[in-house]
Amino acid sequence: MPNEWLAWPWLIPAIAAGGLAALALLAAVLRTPIYKHIICLKYLFCGWKAVVPMVTALPAAIGVFLLILVFAIMNGFAYDTREMTRGTLADIIVDAHMEGLPYYDEFARRIENVEGVQAATPIIQTYAVIRVKPRYTGIRPIVRPCVVLGIRPAEKAKMGRFQEYLGRERLVKRIQDQTDAVLEALRASPGPASTREVQTYLILDILEDIDKAREAGLCSFEECAPAVQPAVKCLELLRKGASPPGDAIREAARGLHSLRDSLKQRRVAPEEVLTVQAGRRGDRRQGAKEPSGCIGGIGVIGTPMPHAVSEIVQAGAGWRVLLTFVAALALVVFLFVWQAGRRHRGRRLWRLATWAWAGAVLALALEATFIPVVPSRTERQEVIDFPLVDYGGDLVVSTIPVRASGALDVEAGGIPKVSSRVLTLVDTFKSGYWEADSTNVYVDFATAQQMAGMDAQPSSDGRAAAPARASQIQVKVKDPARAAETVRGIEEAWQTFVRERPEVGPLHLTVNTWETQQRMILTVVEVEKYITALMLGAMFVGFGVLIGLISYVMAYIKSRDVGILKALGAHDAGVGSLFLGYGFIIGAIGTALGLSSALLMLHYLDAIELWVNSTLHINVFPREMYYFDHIPQHLSAEWCVVVALGVLALSTLASMAGGLLAALKQPVEALRYE
Amino acid sequence: MSKPILEGRGLSKDYWMGPSRLRVLHGVSLSVAQGEFLCVLGPSGSGKSTLLHLLGLLDRPTEGGVVFEGEDAFAKPKRWRDRMRNEAIGFVFQFYYLMPDLSVLENTLLPAMICTPALAWPVARRRHRRRALQVLGDLGLAERVHHLPQELSGGERQRAALARALVHKPRLLFADEPTGNLDTATGAEIMRVLARLNKRDGLTVVMVTHDERVAEQADRLLRLRDGRLLHGA
Ligand SMILES: Nc1ncnc2c1ncn2[C@@H]1O[C@H](COP(=O)(O)OP(=O)(O)OP(=O)(O)O)[C@@H](O)[C@H]1O
Ligand SMILES: [Mg+2]
Repeated sequence: MPNEWLAWPWLIPAIAAGGLAALALLAAVLRTPIYKHIICLKYLFCGWKAVVPMVTALPAAIGVFLLILVFAIMNGFAYDTREMTRGTLADIIVDAHMEGLPYYDEFARRIENVEGVQAATPIIQTYAVIRVKPRYTGIRPIVRPCVVLGIRPAEKAKMGRFQEYLGRERLVKRIQDQTDAVLEALRASPGPASTREVQTYLILDILEDIDKAREAGLCSFEECAPAVQPAVKCLELLRKGASPPGDAIREAARGLHSLRDSLKQRRVAPEEVLTVQAGRRGDRRQGAKEPSGCIGGIGVIGTPMPHAVSEIVQAGAGWRVLLTFVAALALVVFLFVWQAGRRHRGRRLWRLATWAWAGAVLALALEATFIPVVPSRTERQEVIDFPLVDYGGDLVVSTIPVRASGALDVEAGGIPKVSSRVLTLVDTFKSGYWEADSTNVYVDFATAQQMAGMDAQPSSDGRAAAPARASQIQVKVKDPARAAETVRGIEEAWQTFVRERPEVGPLHLTVNTWETQQRMILTVVEVEKYITALMLGAMFVGFGVLIGLISYVMAYIKSRDVGILKALGAHDAGVGSLFLGYGFIIGAIGTALGLSSALLMLHYLDAIELWVNSTLHINVFPREMYYFDHIPQHLSAEWCVVVALGVLALSTLASMAGGLLAALKQPVEALRYE
Repeated sequence: MSKPILEGRGLSKDYWMGPSRLRVLHGVSLSVAQGEFLCVLGPSGSGKSTLLHLLGLLDRPTEGGVVFEGEDAFAKPKRWRDRMRNEAIGFVFQFYYLMPDLSVLENTLLPAMICTPALAWPVARRRHRRRALQVLGDLGLAERVHHLPQELSGGERQRAALARALVHKPRLLFADEPTGNLDTATGAEIMRVLARLNKRDGLTVVMVTHDERVAEQADRLLRLRDGRLLHGA
């Protein structure tokens, strides 16, 4: 996310402009007479009047907090959904539907020549029924509808994040990410039982992943066993309640690192993701010409199952944040009371109370810094898609081929001909985008073409020969922001193509960006966002009225002061701006409070969610509902700036009510009556 | 007599009570010489305060004009009048008019705060503070500088107000019934201070009052009745 901000082309001008504006404001503030600052601060924070700005700033703070938080999370949903869809599909989809597009390779090359296009690949898409025999006895075969996607793996890998979403790829990545975490946890000084529990859990976890990698054929048993041996030894020690010595840990580190490095090289090359590897269960079909492997969406071959997930919580972090917050609050209250009670300062009891309070604040702050943050383990129920077939398991995929004429292949008796194939599961697919994960089964392009009936047909008994067809062409563009232009370019290329190759025939082709393709879900989120903005906007109208009212009442109550200041030579505009400053500072307090707490909250969002979950047992974010493995968030700097500036502008504008009253007041009017 | 520091020329002031006009001052003309102690005496409601506000450039006359140090004040821009009030004129009001949120010292620093930009204040502050403490000390308020106005007695408040009017060394001091709310003894004390300032420092003082005894201190006495100056009184 920060990288994205850094890449923003207007970043430097924006920072420069913001800096200049801030400097100008500072210069203006420093140039104005000092009485405004002193009196404004007295009005704000002196005596029990100080309650007023505090109470007024609160709704602003809540508004800012909600606007930032809700927008960040909603944006996160939209953003992650977009990224997932885009990662699964492609930037632009040229869809010929089930009719199919002939001469697709030629057209794909032409698309690649269109301005802004990086790559294009044909895709076969057809509907199928899949039958899976689970690896567990006692469970009946499962039958699911699915979408069969024929891909050229090497080309598809260039389209989006297809490669990243593959199970083996994710497994390798997880082992790599996890290795250092495990070793770091092991090296941590021998701690309490909870630390040992975490260490145990982390080792178990990585061992489990390594085992899965072995099952997936990423490494052999002979290779794994010696590498994990030292780690297992550490595990045994931990289980006995002892902390593993330095030697053991070093040895475990060496083993895990070597395994990690060899896994890095063992990554499946993009062009081989669909190939059934020798030495695996699928090798009985060795010698088959075309790759007969398939990749099943995790929702197709899996079944939702409750599953206890261990989670490492930074225990104490929540308390730390909370205590810091309380300490800050106590400090504010302290300053406030101290200000208000300045007349009692000489008294002994007051002095004692002051010291006690200051001590309490300090103690809280110290407590907050010194609370140990220990990782500890909690468990929580999650629903995951538990794969029912293993790597190397068989899937039976049945399709109904549709010919170029649009007719179905029919057997004697008029029954549509069904094409069934046994495919070997070589990988799983999980993008987090449920539409894809619950329906897609990826197979090799040529295989899928036959299954869909889109392969080339020789001329036979009176029927003309038909060229091979593809259902879609997926396109990757260089700059996603300019995808719409590229769409037009592709449409033009299609017109020329049809003109030059009339044999393509009248064909309805739709060219869409992934965004239009997914507009339903995105529109829903957008609409929700605007409704929320509207509701919070209404809240800000209330806040504006409140600030206006308060500044007006303040200027009214203080009209004597206004008269005095003017009699002593203060300008009308100067006295008016004092009340503008009053409103501005209230707005600034609210913004600062709201913004900082929202940013804090977003920063600790996952930790807070876990903490609430484990201490209060409230499931804030049921994973099975959202299908995200964390609460998504996407904070835009522009939005923060817009909200902050908006609130500041609003509070300043609204306090014009008081400002004008003060500026227009005649000094003699204000001074007339006692 | 030396040349006048202040002149009022045919000053009239109208107030509008709905459609009916109420003329409070009827073409009052007067001239105040440099270093003079002038007192305007008149019963309550005769327009003394109104006159003082006009002369002190706080309010605009309906007719006539004010010449301050040779300049036609109401022909000048408003900012000029603001500046004059800030640096050349001191005002003591009938009802003290101290700012309740500021301590006595801060109240006394107000004229300086009004003309000093925030940037210059950290440097200028010490000088102004020293001067303010000196003036407050002269008026016998040295012990009271950090008190809020509400913690002071009436006499102390009036002295604090006087300190604020004197701190910037004005060339002209206006006093609107400075003794009006004080008992005789305290009032006499304030009058002694004013007389001393006039005699010792040569400060020009224009005071209005309804109290004959108070007026005796002045060099010259003018009588105001129903918005007109009585001549030859
Ligand atoms: N804003 C106003 N609107 C209407 N009438 C006013 C206004 N200000 C003053 N007056 C009237 O002008 C007259 C003079 O008022 P002013 O305050 O100058 O009297 P004063 O001589 O100072 O009296 P006092 O000795 O009681 O202070 C009074 O009758 C008063 O009612
Ligand atoms: Mg009066």
